[in-house]
Amino acid sequence: MSWVKSIPSSEDDVFDEDEEDTNLQKKEWRYNMEKRLKDGFRDGMDSGKEASLQHGFNMGFRDGAAKMVIVGQLKGIVSAMQCWCQLQQLDPPRLASVTELLQIIVRHEDTMIERMQMAQQHLPASVGDITDCISDLSVQHVDSCCGGVHCSGKSCHRSEGAKEDNSTFPCPSTHCSLSMEENLKQLLKSCMNLVYELDFPEELLHHVKQLMSA
Amino acid sequence: MWLVPNSTEVELLFGVTCNFFITMASGCTSEDLFDAIIMADDRFHDEGFQEGFDKGTRQGLIEGRNHGATHGARLSAELSFYYGFAFTWKCIFQDSPEPRTRKKLKALENLLALIQSFPHDDPQYGNLQEDVGKVRAKFRQVCSLVNVPSDFRDYVSKGEEMSF
Repeated sequence: MSWVKSIPSSEDDVFDEDEEDTNLQKKEWRYNMEKRLKDGFRDGMDSGKEASLQHGFNMGFRDGAAKMVIVGQLKGIVSAMQCWCQLQQLDPPRLASVTELLQIIVRHEDTMIERMQMAQQHLPASVGDITDCISDLSVQHVDSCCGGVHCSGKSCHRSEGAKEDNSTFPCPSTHCSLSMEENLKQLLKSCMNLVYELDFPEELLHHVKQLMSA
Repeated sequence: MWLVPNSTEVELLFGVTCNFFITMASGCTSEDLFDAIIMADDRFHDEGFQEGFDKGTRQGLIEGRNHGATHGARLSAELSFYYGFAFTWKCIFQDSPEPRTRKKLKALENLLALIQSFPHDDPQYGNLQEDVGKVRAKFRQVCSLVNVPSDFRDYVSKGEEMSF
């Protein structure tokens, strides 16, 4: 290592005789401290992630579960109706209308899950990607750069991901949730109409109504 | 480039940095300086760590949350499906003049009660796998009791490919 040779032989002559040596040592010091900062950041990142992943998973699990209750039940109801129609050998147009509704409900459910998956894929894939963003993190301007928000510069490959991460995160429910909800209401209405038309028991009609107001 | 310094390198580093400090601040004892250097080393690491920790915590929450959402959604969709299905058949058989509905009704009510007997939205509930397994088995039994067409059962079984 070159800087080993630059250890001055006595303290007095450092400034007087060889300023270059001091500069070299300063650089070396700065380099090492930057390295410590980066290593610390990486360690902290791992620890922070480890500490919060399970909590996040639990929260997401609960939210995801809550979102699917109505559409899941609706699919079950209309599936049972379809089976009943088949077993009763109902006339084809009636059976067709139930089958058609079921297909739309299945598509609706698939879309909901797809959206959640899409939100998942939009996240930065790994810690590695994020640490790339802080490769120009240095000791001097540690206060201004937090590894994402202000890091739109040269070394950041994933500025888009970092931006998303720091703003409101891509929660599966926030985008287009209104139209999806309205859509589901429509499907529940169609289901109620069919329950009524095909003369299914009153209790079922009541149950679908309850789902609608939930 | 060194990632984790070995002891020789640490000695060399402190050799240089001690020297550097002594030249910059003569008058302090070398013990104080040595402490200051070690602390500087830790201080920078801690500073980075804290920032990293905050960022990692946020990141972990978001990633965990998104990951959890799809898992929770799949499980809930499947169990809610069974519930809606069983509830509808229960309504049908309750009003049915058809004889021998008692056994079917009992099986349906058991399935409905089973679904409601455990939390679907808690991934850390200890018996989740086991209870979901019971629900699936009960659902298959119900399907054969109510004489559901076999192609329907194929369609339903697609939903059972879920993993935790």
